[in-house]
Order: sequence, then C-alpha cells, then structure tokens
Amino acid sequence: MAARLLLRSAFRAATTCLYLLCDSDVCLRLALFCVTSGIPTDEEQATGLEKVILKATKEGKDPYSMLKPKEYAGTKADPHLVPSVTNKRIVGCEEDNTAVIWFWLHEGEAQRCPSCGSHYKLVPHELPH
Amino acid sequence: MAHQAHAYHMVDPSPWPLTGAISALLMTSGLATWFVYKTTTLLFLGTTLLLLTMFQWWRLIIRESTFQGHHTTPVQKGLRYGMVLFITSEVFFFIGFFWAFYHSSLAPAIELGGLWPPTGITPLDPFEVPLLNTAVPLASGVTVTWAHHSIMEGARKPALQSLTLTVLLGLYFTALQAMEYYEAPFTLADGVYGCTFFVATGFHGLHVIIGTTFSMVCLLPHTHYHFTSNHHFGFDAAAWYWHFVAVVWLFLYISIYWWGS
Repeated sequence: MAARLLLRSAFRAATTCLYLLCDSDVCLRLALFCVTSGIPTDEEQATGLEKVILKATKEGKDPYSMLKPKEYAGTKADPHLVPSVTNKRIVGCEEDNTAVIWFWLHEGEAQRCPSCGSHYKLVPHELPH
Repeated sequence: MAHQAHAYHMVDPSPWPLTGAISALLMTSGLATWFVYKTTTLLFLGTTLLLLTMFQWWRLIIRESTFQGHHTTPVQKGLRYGMVLFITSEVFFFIGFFWAFYHSSLAPAIELGGLWPPTGITPLDPFEVPLLNTAVPLASGVTVTWAHHSIMEGARKPALQSLTLTVLLGLYFTALQAMEYYEAPFTLADGVYGCTFFVATGFHGLHVIIGTTFSMVCLLPHTHYHFTSNHHFGFDAAAWYWHFVAVVWLFLYISIYWWGS
C-alpha cells in the first residue's frame, strides 16, 4: 500500500511538472525526455527470436507453433490443416478414438485417420529466417 | 538466429555448470579442512572459482537474453517455473530447521532443565536489535515492490532509487546480524539452543546475502537499460526470492526470537 501511495504521489508530481510548463513545445520535449531516458519497451528493445515472435504475434501469425492448433471439422470439405516445414509430419488423431492414433501425413491429397476417418491435409509452413 | 521451428532455447554447451559444481566441491571440502586443519587454501580456491562462475554464467545469460533475444515467452515461462520450484525447495529446506527447533523446544529434555530457553541460556531480547531486524526486511519488501511497479510503469529513476534502497537495506540487515552474532551471550556449541538458533538464523543470513547479491546483479543491468517494462524476468526472480527471504525471517523471529525466549 505504501508503494502505491508513493507511486501515486510520484506520478502526481511528474504530471504536475508537465502541466506547469504550459508551452506545448517544452511539454513535448519533456515527454520525449521521459520516454527516451525511461525504461524501454519490448517494441523498442526486443531483438532476435523474441523480436520476430513479437512482430508475428502482432500480425496475428504463429510461425513457431506457440498456440494450440486451430479447430477444424475434419470433413472432406473442411479437413484439419497440418502445417509442416518438410513434406511429411506425424499426426496424432484424438477425434473419435479412445486412444491416440498416430500416423505419417504426407504432402498431397488429404489423408484419413485409419480409425475414425477424420481428414487431414499437410500444408507448407513458412519459417521466418 | 537458429533454423528452428519452435520458440524454445536450445542452449549451447558451456563450462560454467562444471566450474560451478567444482567450486561447490572445493568450498565444502575447504570448509571441512579449515575447521580441522586451519588451512584456507581449498576454501579460497573454491570461493574464487565460485565468483568466476557467477560472473561468467550470468554474463552469458544476459548475452543470450538481452543481446540475442533467446528468451521468448515460453522460455520465460519455463524460467518462472524453475524459480518457483527452487524457492519451494528452499522453503522445505527451512521447514527442516524449524522442525528441529520445535522438536527440541516444545518438550524440552530433562538435561536442559525441562524448560525453554534451557537453563543457563540468556536469550536475545526480541524487542531490541531483532525487532529492528524485522522492520528492515519488511521495509525492503516495500522498496522492492516499489521498484517492480516503477519498472512496469517505465519510470527509470524511481526504479533505480528503490532497487538501490533494497540492496542497502539488505546490507544493513547483514551488518546488524553480524553484530548480533558477535555480541551474543551464547554460541553454536551451547547445546541444542545454540545449535538450532545459529543453524536456522545462519542459513537465513546466508540467504539474505544471496538475495542481496541477486538484487545487486539486477541493479547493474538496469543501469544499462537491459530491462523493458514488460520483460524483466531477472528482476521478478530477485523480487520473489527477496520476499521469500523476508517471510522466512518473520517465521524465525516469531518462533525462535519471540516464542523461544
């Protein structure tokens, strides 16, 4: 609680400082000063893989498969789309089975699960290099 | 950047875990040889190797995370789990010493006079220096929380000030405890009271030194703009560890200093 009180008074002191200098030009320069000599944000400072993932997430993409796979109906018209960096990938089908059915999915026409018959189709997956 | 299809960090081989293990061996055996033969060679060697390992390993982590960007969200999550599990293991470590204390003090043996504190022991007054030593970790808990909020809000100067204050309070606690140890009317050799007192508070003091070091190692990257308002796990880990150390002190104070006096 003390920290919040301290923070509130510090914030109030900082904002009153900004308001007292009514000159808009000075205000802007002061604000920029606070931003540039403050703590950087991820946008400004992230690098390497972290930056690539940050940019991709902002665009709504998931190149490194961090999220759950998308839901599909699994029918012939709406097969499960399985991304792959090569031309085949192992699939484990949990749809209408009591066990997980594992099989290789090859590129080309959609394959069906040997047990429940759900459709799976391999799609090429681009990695940001 | 590696050609990997996942967001995890496959670390490159490095010698620092090995040097860390060797330093642990040298320090423990060095401690034993110091006690028995009064020679400090092994201990000195082990401590030097430990300092080298700390410097190199943490430098490597900073390079991998801040400069190379390997610490993605799943990697950070793993690090969080790791820190939580480590602190949990430390909690159990202390539970053992509290168990020992309560085992001996709840039903004091006849050889101790059938009472606690045992006959002949003058315990420290809990309302003198130990009380100050309780206010200090509580205050440092406030300052570390203040620092955390400052970092998240992007306020660099308050973050620097509060983190420095936290480190200073930690050093102050260590200095006060050292003085208490020197002035105490009983020693480690004074039966089960001395044993439980110094082992429990001694390990706690060691953890305070570790926590202070951790905070100091956070202060340095912070002055070099390494942390961002969203990604500052090193600081989070230091803050968690520091809160853990403060809470252990509270338990120590209430059990050993207050109830046990």
